[in-house]
Amino acid sequence: MTERKRLEDYAEDIYTCNRTRCGFCREQCPVYHVMAYETYSCRGKMLVGRGLIEKTLSPSEEMTQILDRCLHCGLCQARCALHNLDIITSMRREMVQGGFSTPVHRENVQRILTEGRLLDARAAPERQGQISLYVGCVYRSKPRELATALSVLERLDIHPLIGDETCCGYIVDATGFDKEFEEVQEQFKRTYQQFQAPEILTLCPTCTITLREKYGLPVKHAIVAVAEQLRKRPGAVKRLGFRATYHDPCHLGRMLGVFEEPREILHQLGIELVEMENNRYFSICCGGGGGVNAVDQDLSIEIAKNRVRDAIRMGVEIITTVCPTCEPTLLRAAARLAPEVGTFVDVQGLWDLLDKALQ
Amino acid sequence: MDAEQVHKAFGELREILGHRASTSPVHRMAYSRDWSPRYRQMNDLPDIVVIPRDTQEMVRITKVAYRHGIPLVPFAGGTGMGGGAVAWNGGIMVETKGLNHILEIDDQNMTATVQSGITIEVLNSELARHRLWLPHQPESKRACTIGACIGCDNDSTFGIRYGKIRDCLLNAVIVTGRAEAIRVGQRKASFSSTGYKVLDLLIASEGTLGTITEATLRVVPLPEAREVRGYVCRRLNDTAKGLERLLGSGLAIESAHANCRNRLHFYTHSYREKYGREPQLPEWADAILFLSFAGDRDIVAFNVDKASRIMVDEFKAEPVSEQELVEGWWDSKHRLEFIPFKQKWPDSQRQKKFGAADLGLPIGRLEEGYHRYLEIAKKWDQEILGMTIYNESPNKATASISFAVFVDDSSQDTVRKFYQYVREMSEMAIELDGTMSTYIGDGDRLGGFNQLEHGPGLKYMRRIKRIFDPKNIMNPGKKFRSRWIEYDQGEHR
Repeated sequence: MTERKRLEDYAEDIYTCNRTRCGFCREQCPVYHVMAYETYSCRGKMLVGRGLIEKTLSPSEEMTQILDRCLHCGLCQARCALHNLDIITSMRREMVQGGFSTPVHRENVQRILTEGRLLDARAAPERQGQISLYVGCVYRSKPRELATALSVLERLDIHPLIGDETCCGYIVDATGFDKEFEEVQEQFKRTYQQFQAPEILTLCPTCTITLREKYGLPVKHAIVAVAEQLRKRPGAVKRLGFRATYHDPCHLGRMLGVFEEPREILHQLGIELVEMENNRYFSICCGGGGGVNAVDQDLSIEIAKNRVRDAIRMGVEIITTVCPTCEPTLLRAAARLAPEVGTFVDVQGLWDLLDKALQ
Repeated sequence: MDAEQVHKAFGELREILGHRASTSPVHRMAYSRDWSPRYRQMNDLPDIVVIPRDTQEMVRITKVAYRHGIPLVPFAGGTGMGGGAVAWNGGIMVETKGLNHILEIDDQNMTATVQSGITIEVLNSELARHRLWLPHQPESKRACTIGACIGCDNDSTFGIRYGKIRDCLLNAVIVTGRAEAIRVGQRKASFSSTGYKVLDLLIASEGTLGTITEATLRVVPLPEAREVRGYVCRRLNDTAKGLERLLGSGLAIESAHANCRNRLHFYTHSYREKYGREPQLPEWADAILFLSFAGDRDIVAFNVDKASRIMVDEFKAEPVSEQELVEGWWDSKHRLEFIPFKQKWPDSQRQKKFGAADLGLPIGRLEEGYHRYLEIAKKWDQEILGMTIYNESPNKATASISFAVFVDDSSQDTVRKFYQYVREMSEMAIELDGTMSTYIGDGDRLGGFNQLEHGPGLKYMRRIKRIFDPKNIMNPGKKFRSRWIEYDQGEHR
């Protein structure tokens, strides 16, 4: 479990960045790439962090807006020895403690505390089965997508046990609502008694990382289980036979290290995989992470458009991915980008492809 | 800064740039430092930050600064080690990385025309699609821009084959302190005998003449293969003599870095930490010469073989058998590809910061320079990191030297000691017929004091500055005044 520290506790990291200024984190930061001020990059934020520690800067609405536009995608940290994500989270906590937070985040936090979920639950997937599955708020709000994923699992002899659950609270923690996150954790633990299982499957990469890091649970993303099953029965899927690229979701790839299983599945589906230049550990966020899509839709779309451009540059017209945030974010951007570039790039979820191939 | 003038200027800049002009304390803070040694709490806050997108916007920004007499400080990669990109006198910080477009890649003429704020890494990833590359490659290439390479005349890993930025630069657009945009240079030709070489004035100008907004660069084909090798030598001078001999034999060497005993220990320490075993290096090893070779595979293989024979037979050197140690050097100088989330950098900077005196010495004075460095560093309580000799001029052994130390930046006094070290090292360089700086530049450290190097020439430099920048708004102070080194100002007017 991650210990939560105050900003001052990271002073040594912050000063180390300030005295180094190598900028390895900066150029590929998807937010900096759109917003253009250094302040939006991790290196810039580390100077702002120093201002907060030394009290030459105080929490403000403007600082909150800047910090809320961090995707928490972890690309900066992949290129650095410092604890960048924890520092940015602790800066967000400083904002909340200083009385500054974005209304939409406050509303989301309140909703999670009162209703136990971030989004309207349109699906009631509770069922008996053999292996615990944590569904998460996003999939509970998407009955069709959830039904597809469950159907794929069933057809591969993975029989999920789904019980009552509450939100893992990722967004509460990531946006700096420290005390509220403690409450959410309590709520989660009360509801989620069943998860004393030796292994818990998950569908959402963000829930996966949160359950692992904040609750210490033995989670495995369901796509890994699918890859394991398909290894045992290589002829189980038909070949779909098209050309596509694969977008690594930040939490599933960079944070959890699940890179090869989705590619292995694509290979089995007969899909000719063309890698984008930034892939695996250095994949670029879709623009939907860290709560950015809630506070700044335009920014989120611009970032997603840049990711779609990465695919276009490789000459492919289909992006596959396996994340309930990446998929709609990229698809929306692809539709907006199409008139600008004259090419529509389709975005197809891996669960949908498996659904087709297993029929 | 005159608050009223700043307020008026900001209003006008907002008209031009909209949200790309800001007086926010948060944004200003993010532009308060570069990589130069300064004490912990030291901030140089600009009054305004602006992000131009093209030359015309830069002209309009400069007109505003000119009208109100406000300094303009170009900011690029922010990785400079001399304080060149800090707004020492406040003013308008120009975030040049908004000028980040490739304007043309001309395969036929092997040129690339770009806006100045594009980073070397991004440019090279685009050029790679054409099987081309820009061989001017500073170690900071992931952050450093073309404009910064021109303005700072920084180092290049491949200098011994391709030279530095001036060897690649064909023309450039500068918006002078008079708010005029001029293209200087020789279009797409590689040289010209007409007029004065105004393009050369831009090299290492550190934003004191104007803001560079565009550049055309000669690019070269990507090599098919590359090999790196290391040779331990018995004496530091053998590295330079050996290199001169290798080049004299007709071999093509792509990069050559020589390191003193201390710096060699730095690499062996990294090797030991990473692989958990002791590298097999002879006890007599006093220096190490790292080389890279590139080109067609068979030519590279021949080059490696011949170079090894010369170094072993004629200089009694020994090839480094642990190739991982050599690859470690190459990772840190060129590839910059570290294991994700396991990168050690910048952990080494936690206690003390890396700093350097970047002298140029004649190649026959290396041993002498090294011993003086040890003495001077000790005198000013600087912890020695080591000496690296970069070769930055095509096909000859040269000595652009990083005399590196770890700087204690916990207080103003300890940082001042570092700059005393820089001062005395600089004096030593002049005494040994060398130069005070070869890749960092004057910044806010050597200005004025550099009369020791330039003599009456400095007066002419001031006059040149006035032609480009009559109101002294372009990065004022830099190159002509030092905030760290004391000198007799009476002599330097």
